Amino acid sequence: MMIMKVKEWCMYCGECAGVCPRSLIEVRENSLKFDKDNCKECAVCIQVCPVQALAKEEVE
Amino acid sequence: MIIETDVLVIGAGPAGSLTAKHAALNGADVIIIDKKSEIGTPKRCAEGVSKEGLKKLKIEPSTRWVTKELSGVRLIAPNGTSVWLNDEKVKLPEAGYILERKVFDKHMAMDAARAGAQIMIKTIANGLRRDGDSLIVTAESMGEELEIKAKIVIGADGPESRVGRWVGLKTAQKPKNMESCAQFEMVNVKMEDPDAIEFHFGSTAPGGYAWIFPKGDDIANVGLGILTTETDKSAYEHLLDFVKNNPATQNAQPVEFNIGGDPVGGMHKELTADNFMLVGDSASQVNPLTGGGIISAMEAGVYAGKVAAKAIKEGDYSAKNLSEYQERCEENIGVKFERDLKVKDYLQSLSDEELNSIADAFQDIELDRINPAELIKQLIKVSPKALLKLGKLF
Repeated sequence: MMIMKVKEWCMYCGECAGVCPRSLIEVRENSLKFDKDNCKECAVCIQVCPVQALAKEEVE
Repeated sequence: MIIETDVLVIGAGPAGSLTAKHAALNGADVIIIDKKSEIGTPKRCAEGVSKEGLKKLKIEPSTRWVTKELSGVRLIAPNGTSVWLNDEKVKLPEAGYILERKVFDKHMAMDAARAGAQIMIKTIANGLRRDGDSLIVTAESMGEELEIKAKIVIGADGPESRVGRWVGLKTAQKPKNMESCAQFEMVNVKMEDPDAIEFHFGSTAPGGYAWIFPKGDDIANVGLGILTTETDKSAYEHLLDFVKNNPATQNAQPVEFNIGGDPVGGMHKELTADNFMLVGDSASQVNPLTGGGIISAMEAGVYAGKVAAKAIKEGDYSAKNLSEYQERCEENIGVKFERDLKVKDYLQSLSDEELNSIADAFQDIELDRINPAELIKQLIKVSPKALLKLGKLF
């Protein structure tokens, strides 16, 4: 199963949420929530992050 | 808990606060919510605004939030050749004052409160549903779930722009229209002219530009915006390179680091729905050429606030009745952006070599004495494709 890993240096700027075509990312002041069940793995959120704080990770 | 109000504004940036202020001034009950614990913090912005912009909005500049008044603009080609513009002769949109956004945003929210708006901070909206001729926004504030029932909801939630999607507006940005930005606020910056803002073009910031915006003394915002469709490196990596290579930042030290998205694809086509309006970055009301959006966001906020209050008085919150807002935005903001989009496309099509030769050619021209038509004529001499891309605009 794929999960979205949010790195420790994420600054919650919300750029990822702005480009998510399915509006699956909720950005709070100090946290980020993914609705991964509906994610189609287009990865634009990973692409636009100014600090590369997002990564896809495969878990058992 | 359920709270009722005429107008609910989601997001207390400049767009949201101006909307709240003008809706309240014109008689509406207004609540404005912001998810953060401090309005205006962290900044996601290079902090430049035009003097004319503030004047038009009747906002008196205050020493509390103006850090620097500028007199010039320096455009820099990849090889370091500069073109200097004097602010009195050539009007550029973001070249007037450099703000302290953390203070400015708070003051705009304070003005909204003084006009009668109720502010709820550390309150995040997480959903929305229709209820007859109202919208009910579900929100969370310090662990408490609440519902806010409003006749009109204003989405002012910045580049994330999720609120608009809850009512069916298409606000998701494509990566090619979303600048990925990174910036240091730095000290020990040695600018050639600390009264001029600097724009650096070329491959130093693919799909965007790098900037140095002076904030008084030896302090400056040093940053850049890139399009991630044009480079494999992140905005942060490009910023580190820029700081390392720029003569002004050789001894500079960072005291703050900012990042964020900047929507530069032009204003969204649809800004209203039944009981709903979209303002600011969430409406992509950002100058596509400069990436600046403070003034246009606040201008839209004035229109949205007035239209909302009028609709409340009339008891008609339909998209049709709110379309006056859309019209005023198109007329006063959108049209200018269409032209700037074309200039941006032209600029982005230029290689480092082309940018260098244009900057070289402009060394011998007295820009202060030149009119736009003459300027374009000179430009076409060194860059023939300007005729194709810009010829019809001027």
